Amino acid sequence: MRLTARLGARLGHVGAFVWSGWAGISGLALFAAVWQAGHEVYGNFILSAPAATVGAAATILTEADNLALIWDTVRRAAQGFVLAAAVGIVGGLGAGYSAATMRLVRPILTVLLGVPPIAWIVLAMIWFGGSDGTVITTVVVAATPLIFVSVAEGVMTRDRKLDDMATAFGAGPLARLTTLGLRHVLAFLFPALTVALGSAMKVAVMAELLANTGGIGGALAMARANLDVTMALAWVLVAVGGLIVLEYLLVHPVRAEFERWRNASRPWGVKR
Amino acid sequence: MASALTPAALTLDNVGYAYLGRTVLDRIDLTLAPGEVVALVGPSGCGKSTLAHIAAGVLEPRHGHLERSYRRHGMVFQEARLMPWATTRENIAYPLRLAGVSRRDRAARAEAAAARVALDIRDLDKYPAELSGGMMQRAAIARALVAEPDFVYFDEPFTALDVALKRRMQNLVIEASRALHFGALFITHDLSEAVRVAHRIAVMDLHGRGIVGDRLLPGMPGDRDEATVYTLAAALAKDPAFRHIHDVDERRLP
Repeated sequence: MRLTARLGARLGHVGAFVWSGWAGISGLALFAAVWQAGHEVYGNFILSAPAATVGAAATILTEADNLALIWDTVRRAAQGFVLAAAVGIVGGLGAGYSAATMRLVRPILTVLLGVPPIAWIVLAMIWFGGSDGTVITTVVVAATPLIFVSVAEGVMTRDRKLDDMATAFGAGPLARLTTLGLRHVLAFLFPALTVALGSAMKVAVMAELLANTGGIGGALAMARANLDVTMALAWVLVAVGGLIVLEYLLVHPVRAEFERWRNASRPWGVKR
Repeated sequence: MASALTPAALTLDNVGYAYLGRTVLDRIDLTLAPGEVVALVGPSGCGKSTLAHIAAGVLEPRHGHLERSYRRHGMVFQEARLMPWATTRENIAYPLRLAGVSRRDRAARAEAAAARVALDIRDLDKYPAELSGGMMQRAAIARALVAEPDFVYFDEPFTALDVALKRRMQNLVIEASRALHFGALFITHDLSEAVRVAHRIAVMDLHGRGIVGDRLLPGMPGDRDEATVYTLAAALAKDPAFRHIHDVDERRLP
C-alpha cells in the first residue's frame, strides 16, 4: 500500500518534470525562429539556416573522428570540473567552519578572480605546452572560486540552533557535519555546480582553440580557417547540446531529489 | 521522591557561565533525584535556558562541575528545531540515527514515539513546513522521547503555543513522564505550568546568581486538578522567593 503510494508519487515527479519540458522546447523554438529570420536577412555566408546547422551537427555526430574530438573536450572539461569541485568543496568547508581561514583566503580569491581567464591560458600554455594539462588547469582555475565561495557561504549560513539540537542529542562534530552541515550546503552547492559545469565546458573549448590542442576548440579553429560558418555553428550546437543534455538528465533530476522539501512548502498553485 | 541512598540523576555543583566576559550564571547548585521532574522558574533573561543548555551538554560551564548519572537524555527546545529538509518521520528518528540504529528499526520506533504524542501516521511523511506549530512541537517531543531517555530537558517548550494547546502538551508530557519514568528539568517562566507538570519547583535569581529557593509541591503531577493548580500557583506568587519572577531586565535578554 505504502509502496504503491510512493511509486505513484515518484511517477508523478517524473511526469511533472517531463511535462515542464514543453516550456523549454517552446523557448528553443522561438530562438530558432529568430535565427531563421536572421538567416533570411543576412544570407548563408554570414548566418546559415538553423535546419542546415542541425543537419551539419548530425553529420558531425555520425563520424567517429569527430566523436573522438568531442570526447577529448568532454574528458578534459570533466577532469577539470571534478578537480575544481573537489578543491572547492574541501576548501569551502574549511573556510566556512574556520573564520580565520576565510579571512586569509578572501583576498587571495579576489586576486585570482581578477586575473582574466585568457591570462591563465597563456600561463598554462607556457607551463604545460599543448597537452591536456593546459585545458584542465584553465578549467580548474575558472571553476574553483565559485564552488569554493558557495560552499563557504552555505556553511556560514547554517542554522546553529540545529547544531545545538544535534549536540544535545549527543552528536559530535563529525556527525553534525554529515547529518546537518553537508545537507545544508547542498542547497548552495547545486546552483554553483551547475554554473561551474557550464563554464568548465566553455573554458575548455576556449582553451583548446587558443592552445591548439584539438577537441571541439580545435575543430572550431579549423572551421574559422575555412570560413565555414555552418560548420562553426554546428560545433557550437554540439557543445551546447551536450551541456543541455547533461544539465537536464543529470543535474536537474538530482537537484529535484534533494530539494523536494522546498517544493512541499510552496502552495500547490505555484509549483515550478 | 527518592531516598538519600540512591544517586542523584543530575547534580549541578557551583556551576557558572560567562558570555563575552559578562557573567550570565554563577553559583548554581541543583540536584535532581531519579524520576523527579523539577520545574526551574525565573524571570525572562535570567539564564534559565543557558543552564539547561549547560546541563544538556550543549554549552561548557565556565566553572563548577556537573554530574549526570542518568543513562541518556533527550531535549525539547523553545522552537521545534526540526530539519526542514527531512520528513517528520526522519526528524523524529534523528537521535536514533545518531545512535547508529538501523533504518528499519528507526522507522518503527519513530512511529511508536509519534503515536505517544498523538501525531497521525499520515503526517509522518510530511515536511516540517507542512505542519502546524502544535504538530511541530509534538514532533519535537516525539524526537526527545524516541531514544527512550531516562531524563529529558524541556527549555520553555510551549511558550509559543496558545493556552488550550499548551494544556494538551503539558498533559502529554505528564503522561509520558509517568509511563516512561523519566526525570526532567522543565524550564519555564509560567508558574501554573510549573505547578502542573513538576514534583518540585526551583527558583532562579533575577541575575542568575544561584538558585534562590525550591518548593516541594503536594501530590503528583497529573493528579492536581485545575483548582489545586490555581491555588498553588497563586500561593507561590505571594511567596517571597518567587516574587521577582515577573521582573524583566530587557537589557539582559539575549
